[in-house]
Amino acid sequence: MGPAGREPTGRLLCYSHEREWFVADPSESKREQDLRFEREALPWMDDVYRFAKSMTRDEADADDLVQETYLRAYRAWHTFEPGSDCRRWLFTICRNVFLRTREREARQVDTGGDDAVLETMAAVREASPYAMSNPESIFSRLDVGPAIGKAIDALPEVFRSAVVLVDVEGQSYDEAAAVLGVPIGTVRSRLFRGRRILQHALLEFAKDAGLAAPA
Amino acid sequence: MDCSQAVHQLWDYLDGELTDEKMAEVRAHLKACKGCFPHFDFEEAFLEAVRKSRAETACPDALRRKVMAKVQRAMEEQQA
Repeated sequence: MGPAGREPTGRLLCYSHEREWFVADPSESKREQDLRFEREALPWMDDVYRFAKSMTRDEADADDLVQETYLRAYRAWHTFEPGSDCRRWLFTICRNVFLRTREREARQVDTGGDDAVLETMAAVREASPYAMSNPESIFSRLDVGPAIGKAIDALPEVFRSAVVLVDVEGQSYDEAAAVLGVPIGTVRSRLFRGRRILQHALLEFAKDAGLAAPA
Repeated sequence: MDCSQAVHQLWDYLDGELTDEKMAEVRAHLKACKGCFPHFDFEEAFLEAVRKSRAETACPDALRRKVMAKVQRAMEEQQA
């Protein structure tokens, strides 16, 4: 969510990641702004809910978080730049609200292993026996969705947010970095580490289900 | 490009985050290398499974109604 202020001339200045400072449309009435909010922000409620739930891992907390996100989004709607990415803007608000309520959890995480290439190599190495025998076998023979869903919930928050934003919500590294307020390199290393942890959980699930790693 | 360089960029490639030139280099390597292709294929299927694991979660109707009511109230407060 960007800040806003007024120029000496009285024009409302707002801030967005896309265009930095811009001048809000002074001719837009309150009613028109409300209609635009309904048209542009409300349709993203499924996405915001998914993101909120992935952070809170709790239905009731996700409910509260979504409500608070939309309330704050509405109150700050005049700072949203028309034509920019509303979904990403909502994700940013949602994440900021979440962090304010869960600061301790967010700070507690060990984000070590900050080498994206090492994470990639480790994941490829671990999956190698499955990949070389029949890459599709795990995914076609097992219902991996619930196992992956459970593993996502078990991820520390910083990895979970990166995985959900990029892998589930389809955000680019750059977009995820804007939502999370961290550099792209940090998103990349968190994302890759999160993926490696998820993949490990998936392979363990495959072993438990009797789909042993080929020799 | 050798296998090690290709694998180092595996996830960046699958995410479409490399430059056009680098994307083309990895693509060309995968076409020619029988050793690397299965790894990329596996990880692509893995990412698709991650995407699907959550993609169908929808906001419950009761919550949708609560949000609409809250926003409506805020709109009315601002009008007043």
